[in-house]
Amino acid sequence: MKFLKECPILIGIIVIAVILTVISFVCRGSVYEDYADEADPAKVPALAVVFKAARDQVFPWSGTSGDETASVDGTDAIQGGDGTDADVITEEGDVTAEGQADEAADDTDQGASWLYGDVYGDVSDNDVSGNEAEPETYEFTEVDDDYFTDALFIGDSRTVGLSEYCEPLDEKATFYSKVSLTIYTVMDKEFVKTDEGKISVDAALRENQFGKIYIMLGLNEIGTGDTEYFINAYEEVIDRIVELQPDAIIYIQGIMHVTAEKANGDKNFNNEKINERNEALAQLADQKKIFYIDMNEAVDDEDGNLDKSLSFDGVHLKASSYERWYEFLLHNAIVR
Amino acid sequence: MVNFSDLNFIFRFLPIFLIAFYITPIRFRTWTLFLGSLLFYAVGDIRMLPALLAAIIVNFLFGKAQFAEKSKSLLFFILAIDAGMLVEFKILGQFVNSSLLPIGISFYIFKMISYQMDVYSGKIDKDARFIDVATYFSMFPQIVSGPIMRYEKFLENPMLDESAGRDKSIFAHIEDGLRYFVIGLAMKVLIADHLSMLWHDIGTIGYESISTPLAWLGAYAYTLELYFDFWGYSLMAGGIGVMIGFPFIVNFDHPYGSFSVSEFYRRWHATLGSWFRDYIYFPLGGSRKGSARTVFNLLVVWLITGFWHGITPNFILWGIVLFVIIVCEKYLVFKVLPEKLGKVIGKINVLVLIPLTWVIFAITDFDMLAMYFSRLFPFFGQGIAVNDNDFFKNIGVYWMVLLPGLVLLIPKVFEFWENRRGHVVFNIIWILLFWFCIYSISGAAGNPFMYFRF
Repeated sequence: MKFLKECPILIGIIVIAVILTVISFVCRGSVYEDYADEADPAKVPALAVVFKAARDQVFPWSGTSGDETASVDGTDAIQGGDGTDADVITEEGDVTAEGQADEAADDTDQGASWLYGDVYGDVSDNDVSGNEAEPETYEFTEVDDDYFTDALFIGDSRTVGLSEYCEPLDEKATFYSKVSLTIYTVMDKEFVKTDEGKISVDAALRENQFGKIYIMLGLNEIGTGDTEYFINAYEEVIDRIVELQPDAIIYIQGIMHVTAEKANGDKNFNNEKINERNEALAQLADQKKIFYIDMNEAVDDEDGNLDKSLSFDGVHLKASSYERWYEFLLHNAIVR
Repeated sequence: MVNFSDLNFIFRFLPIFLIAFYITPIRFRTWTLFLGSLLFYAVGDIRMLPALLAAIIVNFLFGKAQFAEKSKSLLFFILAIDAGMLVEFKILGQFVNSSLLPIGISFYIFKMISYQMDVYSGKIDKDARFIDVATYFSMFPQIVSGPIMRYEKFLENPMLDESAGRDKSIFAHIEDGLRYFVIGLAMKVLIADHLSMLWHDIGTIGYESISTPLAWLGAYAYTLELYFDFWGYSLMAGGIGVMIGFPFIVNFDHPYGSFSVSEFYRRWHATLGSWFRDYIYFPLGGSRKGSARTVFNLLVVWLITGFWHGITPNFILWGIVLFVIIVCEKYLVFKVLPEKLGKVIGKINVLVLIPLTWVIFAITDFDMLAMYFSRLFPFFGQGIAVNDNDFFKNIGVYWMVLLPGLVLLIPKVFEFWENRRGHVVFNIIWILLFWFCIYSISGAAGNPFMYFRF
């Protein structure tokens, strides 16, 4: 008792540390299975895993059922792409995408290849028939700013920047953009502000129709899963948008590069990886409804990295550089 | 790991070290601290460990010779070696490769210089043992970023002295040190690290595109960030010192409660300020040799202070600006104006000019610095692509950090806690605060102390 009186904080901290360490060991094989890489005991104390997981809403009492839900949701998500009216990715699905990426990738592999084959079948069909029956092709042309009156921009912090620092565009277009948004969360995260509160992009697209939809996503999730996994998720989102907005022109924007300095030595945030994903994104375009544009030509230096004079942190454009992006969009538009 | 807010330091190095330290018999405890400190340093930067060891040995030997026979030329010789080593590594670190700047060199060299001068002046009169001197120079709680403790304080540790009376138990020492450590950790992790994101966001926007209100918000956010980063570090360092028996070293004494810039710098990073006073300003004659000489001495002190923080031109400019403000205060504000008015102006200097000097401190590139000031004072043209809502957007995000930061600026708030720190309510809050910090750390890649590179 005297001991407790003498050093209550020390005892409190030690007791909790011991409990957390025990939890981290007990749940190692179950709840925390997917954190094995991040919480290598050689690098961080064992209890760190409890906090890391808690940030993803994974708690000791989440139980192993978390895994089952995850895989079920993963399948749901895939079926959403089929055109069935599914709530594409559920909240648990988010966790799947971020925290349990590897496993989810495995789970969805089967469904993904099925989907992959399906859609590519469509694309090649169209290509063939398009060449023979419909010689009409669309060219990128220059437009004026009225073009963006019925345009929607969906994206992460970079698109947020575009909305905040490109006044002529912000005045005309609509923005559904949010910092750290990913392709896995874009449809279901409730962040679109309306008079009745925040709703998801999915819900917002059911209510509002747009003539053009610009998407730039992919940097936040560049460390999650492989390119195939990313592209499959992207494709589902596109399919869902086409379903909700059958008349819109959809622009898939290639992911903007990072500066050479930022890319140097970073295993994820580098331009090889971005280019690999951009090449795959370009394949999603059908040149009829869905087009691929790459604004990197407007901001790259001669080596194909983001020009460092345009960025302070190597990832985002400075406010004064968004003009280039805007000019690029004005010069690379489709008019049907 | 050489970062007190690193999980490996908190949960591995520190507890293991404390156990090792206290199970060692008192006679050999200084050795445990020395070896633990070398291990700590080696984990941080093993390449530069030989430089530290060489400096320790050379300084010990010169000190020993000085004990035998006082010699001014010997003193000048060792001071030239120490200062030369610091200057050389600073230049290497700046112009060749930043990894060539040894961790903590600015701090351990200053300890060495103070040791040599105290031995010469007779302030340290007993012949010092090697292990004491070596441990004093290298002890891990202070080697990275201070505080610059004096050698006499090093000897005031009852846990290292067999003959000393012990009025407090080992656990009472650890508990009290832990209190300071936790509050320091919270300042660093919860306030400073989050405010650094605001400062970073301003850079991302680009200084040419921030609104004037945001420019001012940025100046104050950086001011608070620097304060809580370094005060938090100093509390952690002081707390670890207390855990192993040393007296708590006050490095920050509520500087923003000051009524003049000169007072501010007696209370900001106080161990550095008193070092400059005792080992540069007083030896030059201080203020006893007439006004002209006093002004010159102040100029020398502030130029060296600027240089010590970094050798890019903005630090020199920062030092000169502070020199000008302090001279104006000394010979104009407090001499000519009535006392009340002087106090008001002094307070404005602390609350308005000091944050502006931190902007100079923060931005190393002169063009960017000029750009930032042109946004602070937008009389010379407009910004580019400015979004006028940026201030409210950032206030909306960061008020949760700015508000506790501002509250902690009030000296009474901290004193209230300090005087009642054993209270059961504070104990519970401190345990929660500690784990909240750990939660915050485990999510973010820890950003090392800003003072790390100095």
